[in-house]
Amino acid sequence: MNALTLSFTLNGNDVSLEISPNTLLVDLLRDKLRLTGTKVGCREGECGACTVLLDGTPVNSCILPAAKVQGKSLTTIEGLAQKNGQLTEIQEAFMHEGAAQCGFCTPGMIMNSTALLENNPQPNEQEIRQALSGTLCRCTGYRKIVQAVATAGEMKKSQG
Amino acid sequence: MQDTTEGKRKVQVHTKEKPDLDQLLGEPEKKLAVAGHSITRTDDPGKVTGKLMYGADYPQEGFLHGKILRSPHPHALIKSVDIEKAIELPGVAAVLTGKDVPGRNGFGAILPDQPVICEDKVRYVGDGVALVAAETEEIAHEALSLIRVEYEVLPAVFDPRDALEPDAPKVHEGGNLLSDNKLRKGNVEKGFREADIIMERTYQVPFLEHAYLEPDVTLAVPQRDGTMLVEGPMQAPFTVRRNLAAVLGVPVNRVRVRQIHMGGGFGGKEDSPIDIGCRAAVLANHTGQPVRIALEREEVTLQTCKRHPMIMEVKIGARKDGKLLAFEGVIYDEQGAYAGLGPVIPPAGGSHIHSMVMMPGPYEIPHAKVDAYLCYTNHPYGGAMRGFGAPQVHIAHEQMIDELAGELGLDPFEVRHINAFRLGSATATGQVLDQSVGLLDTLEACAEAFRWKERFGKNEYLNAESSKRRGIGMGMGWYRTSIGTAGDGCGANVYVHEDGSVLLYSGITEMGQGAFTVLPQICAEELGVAMEDVRLVQPDTDQVPESGPTVGSRSTTLMGNAIIMAVRQVKTSILEMASDMLRVPVERLEAKNRLIYDREKPHKSLAFKEVAARCMAMGKRLIGQGWWTPPAASLDPETGQGSPYFVYTYSTHMAEVLVDVETGEVEVTDYVAAFDVGKAINPKALEGQIEGGVAMGLGYALMEEVAMVDGIPQNLNLQDYLIPTTLDMPDVKPIVLEVENKLGPYGAKGIGEMPNIPATPAILNAISDACGGRVRSLPADPERVFMAIREAGGPPER
Repeated sequence: MNALTLSFTLNGNDVSLEISPNTLLVDLLRDKLRLTGTKVGCREGECGACTVLLDGTPVNSCILPAAKVQGKSLTTIEGLAQKNGQLTEIQEAFMHEGAAQCGFCTPGMIMNSTALLENNPQPNEQEIRQALSGTLCRCTGYRKIVQAVATAGEMKKSQG
Repeated sequence: MQDTTEGKRKVQVHTKEKPDLDQLLGEPEKKLAVAGHSITRTDDPGKVTGKLMYGADYPQEGFLHGKILRSPHPHALIKSVDIEKAIELPGVAAVLTGKDVPGRNGFGAILPDQPVICEDKVRYVGDGVALVAAETEEIAHEALSLIRVEYEVLPAVFDPRDALEPDAPKVHEGGNLLSDNKLRKGNVEKGFREADIIMERTYQVPFLEHAYLEPDVTLAVPQRDGTMLVEGPMQAPFTVRRNLAAVLGVPVNRVRVRQIHMGGGFGGKEDSPIDIGCRAAVLANHTGQPVRIALEREEVTLQTCKRHPMIMEVKIGARKDGKLLAFEGVIYDEQGAYAGLGPVIPPAGGSHIHSMVMMPGPYEIPHAKVDAYLCYTNHPYGGAMRGFGAPQVHIAHEQMIDELAGELGLDPFEVRHINAFRLGSATATGQVLDQSVGLLDTLEACAEAFRWKERFGKNEYLNAESSKRRGIGMGMGWYRTSIGTAGDGCGANVYVHEDGSVLLYSGITEMGQGAFTVLPQICAEELGVAMEDVRLVQPDTDQVPESGPTVGSRSTTLMGNAIIMAVRQVKTSILEMASDMLRVPVERLEAKNRLIYDREKPHKSLAFKEVAARCMAMGKRLIGQGWWTPPAASLDPETGQGSPYFVYTYSTHMAEVLVDVETGEVEVTDYVAAFDVGKAINPKALEGQIEGGVAMGLGYALMEEVAMVDGIPQNLNLQDYLIPTTLDMPDVKPIVLEVENKLGPYGAKGIGEMPNIPATPAILNAISDACGGRVRSLPADPERVFMAIREAGGPPER
């Protein structure tokens, strides 16, 4: 199969590389780019552990051909914190509320929550539950995750 | 370190030259400085940034990819295995069959009856008949497709009762009855004669999948010194090591096992790492190269253990005021194809004995009898899953209590209140509960928070037009701490260094429950240092003492005690040295918040690190080794009488549901769960255990089941095997009560498994309360709820 040259913005940096056209985005990220924060739980777009943001929209990278990110902007969990290590409000809130247990769903949860707060900075509980309903967690029962997203919204507001 | 719940009373460590000791030591009633606080988890920074490495995240360069060829038949003889074409495929390093296993061709946590590679016969569709190692995953897959296996299909058995029939197909040579256990207390016939009412019911539960989000992975790496290193997510490194040694045919000290942070385990990663670990090690041993086996989600469901399905028959006798007089139970416990963690082979307890012990529930009943049969079948094998045989039997006794209350026209709260264990109660095994019995406290606290009395008996349709009707239900439960009858013991090492920093060596693993936070908390508390002074060493069997498995809700209590014992050895040196330095008798010295001071004249103090440096300079021991064994467990094999576990956790849950009586759909709308935990070492982490446990119990009640057709699991991935989402979960309100466990660190007892256990029957009871029908064969999905309503003669009147 012919190689494909893929150019996109990854966590704020321009990237250009050769890939095989049938490469899935999650494999490109994890195997080739060593960004292993994005997790694989089911490989059928069901669990949401592989969620990344494509032009700000959450997508399941385990069922998305890498070629689809051509010319677009991609954000993974590794791209959220600032260079100096400063975490985002959502990352801080997840720690504060105890929203991570085994942590395997956490990157997907945080990416979905990031997209939610971009569009709806002060979501209510039902909106949070709706936005995260495609991301499975087997450990927490979701209560502290929902609380963390609400707390992050409050933190953003108070920081103006 | 961040204290998130008790900011007002937070103890601060001062950097001023002259510390203000009153402030430093906190308010007088506040004795604990680190334990008992909701300290942020030590692994959180790695988890929220994606930096924490799970097994699948380790670089794959230099590894061969291992794959397992599985049987398509649930029961068949292997006539021949032709690997010739597969082995000739370029990029294939090895294709192995049963004869290539260097040592014992069998593994298992209790009984090694599962072949690493089947030679003569397959017993379930997850069984491996050949192993492949290749340079890429793709080549390995292709090699599997080139292996030709000739089978002779045998009749199979899929029901534990059928398995006991004399002419049933034999899964193993020794017959299908793996364990046969009895509990006999008092005289049930007498109890039934005295009863005003006798009821009999049968309850049934299916196979459940753990559905930990991280699929299993293992890395086997031959070492330069000839030993074998196996790494992976796992709950029981020492059990894995024991099996690896036997399978490789080497002594235990020639195998090294390192645990990698787990993406969930729930008991499942007690068995599965043995399974894939042994297989990867056999391939690595054969090729001399590192081998990685990473299971896909479908393979996890096909191959790894499940929660045991059971058929439970219950007969109960009571007075008309609800006092229980006699309980008789029969358990047909389905083990599946291999022994896993099920059987009772003394001193090993197995889940089966636990089911039997727990079956009559947390109630004082003068006469009890249980017969428990554990049977091989040709299904996947049963293993540990958050409750080790207890969730199933709670589904039976808790529904039975409600059915009894309904029949007697009593409030189920009252029936539970008069029968529940209290201090001094004797259990069905005759064990007198002599300490830390907070069951009634949980019942009362839960009822108050839920407003049970106001709500009970006031069910209504949502409104005049709605087909949705409200109902409430409760479930009570108890759960052991430790593995009890199996013999238990736990070791920890603590090293203090010259700068006051500490290394804590423990074999307890982290799977999300928070052990890597709670255990350093206990260490820091006991040593009198700060949380950040303690580094926990990742479990590595070459470094840490035998600690047993991370199961049985035992980690905080058993390892906590072992840590305290280890710390006390070190502390003796530290305090003796400080006594010399301060010229204050040892008995008057206190160590807290990195200081050692005279209790009577607190201004006389030294920095902990100063004393540690002095100890090191003077050649004093700063190494502590702790080993804690619970009080001896006992259980008579003939009568099932004795004290199998040294302490229990207790809980009451109350749920409100809305049942659509036209569709059978159920929504859980309100939830309170109360626990007696002894002592919460990290309250926030403990709440997390409660909320997550309720979610798992809700899934068991409403949606989870590994559907089997002719021995073949049908729902292999998460699209078909449903687990609760954000939209299924109510806002669970946890209540934490602390009735001190005199044998636990700071009074603690286990919490990991308890929370999911009463959740399932609480929801099932609420459904019945709402719709009038009762689902006795799980899950209570819309179809079964609908059928139950129909069997009850239609929906309740408006």
